[in-house]
Amino acid sequence: MTVPNEHLLILAGILFAIGVGGFFLRRNLIIVLMSIELMLNAANLTFVAGSRMHSSGADPNLEGGLFAVFVIMVAAVEASVGLALVIALYRRKQTVSTASLNDLGD
Amino acid sequence: MITAILSQDLDIQTVTSAAWIGGAPMLCVTFGIILALLAEVIPTLAAARPLAFVGSLLAALFFELALITDPQGLIFQGTFRADSASSSWGALFVTAGLLSWLYSQRYYKLEAPFKPEHDILMLCSVLGMMLMAGAEDLLTFFIGLEVLSVPLYALASFRRVRNQSVEAGLRYFLLGAFAAGLFLYGAALIYAATGTFRLEELREVGIHSKLGIAGVALMASALFFKVSVFPFHFWVPDVYQGSPTPVTTFMSTGTKAAAFAFLFKIAFMLPESSAGTLAIISLLTMVVGNLGALVQTDLKRLLGYSAVAHAGTLLLAVTASLVGDPLPDGPLDAALYYMAAYVFTACGAFGLIATLEGDGERFTRIESLRGLGQRRPVLAGALSIFMLSLGGFPATGGFFGKYFVFSSTLRADMMFVSAIGVLLSVIALGYYLRIIMTMWMQPAKKDVPIPSAYRPSSSFATGMCVFFVFALGLAPGWFLDRLL
Repeated sequence: MTVPNEHLLILAGILFAIGVGGFFLRRNLIIVLMSIELMLNAANLTFVAGSRMHSSGADPNLEGGLFAVFVIMVAAVEASVGLALVIALYRRKQTVSTASLNDLGD
Repeated sequence: MITAILSQDLDIQTVTSAAWIGGAPMLCVTFGIILALLAEVIPTLAAARPLAFVGSLLAALFFELALITDPQGLIFQGTFRADSASSSWGALFVTAGLLSWLYSQRYYKLEAPFKPEHDILMLCSVLGMMLMAGAEDLLTFFIGLEVLSVPLYALASFRRVRNQSVEAGLRYFLLGAFAAGLFLYGAALIYAATGTFRLEELREVGIHSKLGIAGVALMASALFFKVSVFPFHFWVPDVYQGSPTPVTTFMSTGTKAAAFAFLFKIAFMLPESSAGTLAIISLLTMVVGNLGALVQTDLKRLLGYSAVAHAGTLLLAVTASLVGDPLPDGPLDAALYYMAAYVFTACGAFGLIATLEGDGERFTRIESLRGLGQRRPVLAGALSIFMLSLGGFPATGGFFGKYFVFSSTLRADMMFVSAIGVLLSVIALGYYLRIIMTMWMQPAKKDVPIPSAYRPSSSFATGMCVFFVFALGLAPGWFLDRLL
């Protein structure tokens, strides 16, 4: 028994929606970072599903998998810089809430 | 891509001479990064640090200019195109990097020990821009986007003892990462719909399914974030205000140019019915940018809103290419010219603010410019020239940038849109002239200290900017013939 490709795409869509929702609704920066990771992983799932959709036994289409590997790498890079910035904020303000981002403006 | 590599039996000859020449600018910058990193750990090389930066960028500029007249076409297994357009964009990125670097000399006081990191991050960012402008598939573009963005997140919060700088970095990071997520999901949907993410193959198969069109819409929104187009522009004033001014200089010119370079490349994916929406978005962007700028009291925020308005004008050129300019390269050339003028003008304007500012934030408010015309006439004169060029005054580069963009939209039969666009540009003159009036007409307040302005590097950069603003405004034919 195999999972139909449509189900994979729908699952990825739901994951992406959860990520976007978390990005806009949550106040804790760590959870916002996690939401971004969720968005990237939704893209990864779609890439891998797309790779399966466009492959046949003799002619595999591996480009989607390749893209997913690069995305995993970039996600790690982004997380490291993002967490460093969150730590810098914590050192200044002793909080990691988005509500503390209020120093800019006229 | 893997299939392409495997099918060639991993031939040693895959790196052709075209690839060496086409990739030369990026190789130069990469060597510059390696040298600068080595200079950090080997004490005897410490003196080579500025040399590595300037030398690598000048070498890259040389190769970009050579590539404009001698394009190499598709290289690196068809993932990168070194043609005259990508090289022209590349020359602009290098120029923006060099000018921002000149203005960053002696800007930092507390952070001065970390200046080498600053320079290395900037070089990485330039490399990412070059990769973006030449990318021929979505993966290469995405890598370029991240190589550009991640160093900029760090650079925006470079003055991490200041709340404002940390906040600017975080805001830029959050929105940049969100945009990257949008882009990736869009690219994934396009891949799921068509089975490829190479632009060449996408051009052949076309994007017809709903899944693919949703992907294109997501990808376009991500790029709109990067070029700061309405409704994704709200981060611009905050980030521009909070970042260290030399970083703002670089961000406002380079990033925008790189994202527009790719927007032109993927314009073919947008369905033709979206031209109307694009035109409306451009006009709304110009409205929001200009009206926002009218009420600002902070110079960097004002220039941030002005950058939004300029992005709106450039998006009009993208719209013209979608509607169909009878001159096939018309919109792209117009955008390149516009961006060239904008790079010199905005670098000069932001750079002069950096020069005035020193380490304090005293001179970033418009009222602190009062009486500058009497106290520092040369500096005030240069700033006035940049303001006039931003407003599109004749005899400056900004005028011909606008002229070429609007003549392209007129050729594409967008009468109404062009008329409103020109009208909005005239409104923009209001706030640019206000700055000039403040400098020359209003007396200085007693308690505002005289800016200690003289720095050889920034004077040199300002001289270059003024020269090119006038050159682009007085001899447009020369640049069009040779550099586009």
